[in-house]
Amino acid sequence: MKTRAPLASACKQYEEDLVLHYYGENGQDERRKIENHLADCLSCRSFLDDLRRLLPQITQIEKMPQSFWDNYYRQTVAKLADYEERKFSWRAFFAPMRMWMVPAFGTVVAAVLVVGLMFGKDNIKLFVEPRAEKIPQEIMADKNQLEFFESMEIIEALGKLEAQDEPKTEATPTDSTRASGNAQIV
Amino acid sequence: MAEQQELRDEELVALAQQGRRDSFELLVRRYMEKAFHIAFNFTRDTETAKDLSQDAFLRAYANIKQFDGRSSFYTWFYRIVVNLCLDHARRHRRVSWESLDQMAEESGEQNQFADSTFAPDEHAIAGETKRRVDKTLESMPKKQRTAFLLRNHQGLSIADVAKVMKTTEGTVRVYLHRAVAALRQSLVEFV
Repeated sequence: MKTRAPLASACKQYEEDLVLHYYGENGQDERRKIENHLADCLSCRSFLDDLRRLLPQITQIEKMPQSFWDNYYRQTVAKLADYEERKFSWRAFFAPMRMWMVPAFGTVVAAVLVVGLMFGKDNIKLFVEPRAEKIPQEIMADKNQLEFFESMEIIEALGKLEAQDEPKTEATPTDSTRASGNAQIV
Repeated sequence: MAEQQELRDEELVALAQQGRRDSFELLVRRYMEKAFHIAFNFTRDTETAKDLSQDAFLRAYANIKQFDGRSSFYTWFYRIVVNLCLDHARRHRRVSWESLDQMAEESGEQNQFADSTFAPDEHAIAGETKRRVDKTLESMPKKQRTAFLLRNHQGLSIADVAKVMKTTEGTVRVYLHRAVAALRQSLVEFV
């Protein structure tokens, strides 16, 4: 293997400036300063030569054939067309409409929305179903049950009357007998 | 479309902003090679680079109305490409730098170092140089590598690299110097 000279070291304080000098990124004053230094410094000159030799080598990449670029361009244009088609597909939906139809369509949509809100799933029952049916089943009573509850109320009422009359019943036992008789009747 | 070919980027962008897709297609033709090469430098894979750079064109077209002309079109567009590449690198963790070596070995006649003017030993040296460079680039911090690739491979000025990376020119200079120093270090023992 053919040998090459090892990469040269630059003066530490000039190294960054030399990199910028290689890329042509330093100002006029800096450039002049570097050029003056390079005239006297062999190691910095070698460093710069190394950059000039090596950096372009790592830049290059495989050259693609023209057919690759033709295909690339065709694909990209097709993707752009596809994107545009998808983006504007909603416009095609409205394309057959005349201009006056747009506010009319909007009004219809608004009306449908209002009606929908008024007669929504829950609201519509208020109009269709009678309110009575909304009473929970557990407190609904048939005729017999109502009679039972009424009799219970009478019994309670009699109980209260008994409690009120209790001091009197001690004196007149016939009242209590009458009351219990009444209870039996109920 | 033929008459548009002489137009400057800013004029083509203005037409594209008015909905002229054919104007944007000219920008695609102008920048497709650069876009592909940026993506290739990041991904080292032809198909991925093609997909990423084409996605970048789609994104640029989708957002063309948001381009306000404060920077040049290519700076704005490069930022989209680089961001897509960085996102891709984040998702795939490691960039397959090795794939280029394989490609280079398999297609010797197309290899950049396989120039007919190179003697076989020169070819071997060039191959080894390339392997070392790729390894060093792989191990570099992401921002340092990005700055180096944009400046060295894409030829963007430091000012433009700073705009693309949303950082200062001073920071880019430091990244660049460190990247070159690292590359130099990797090659210093190699004679």
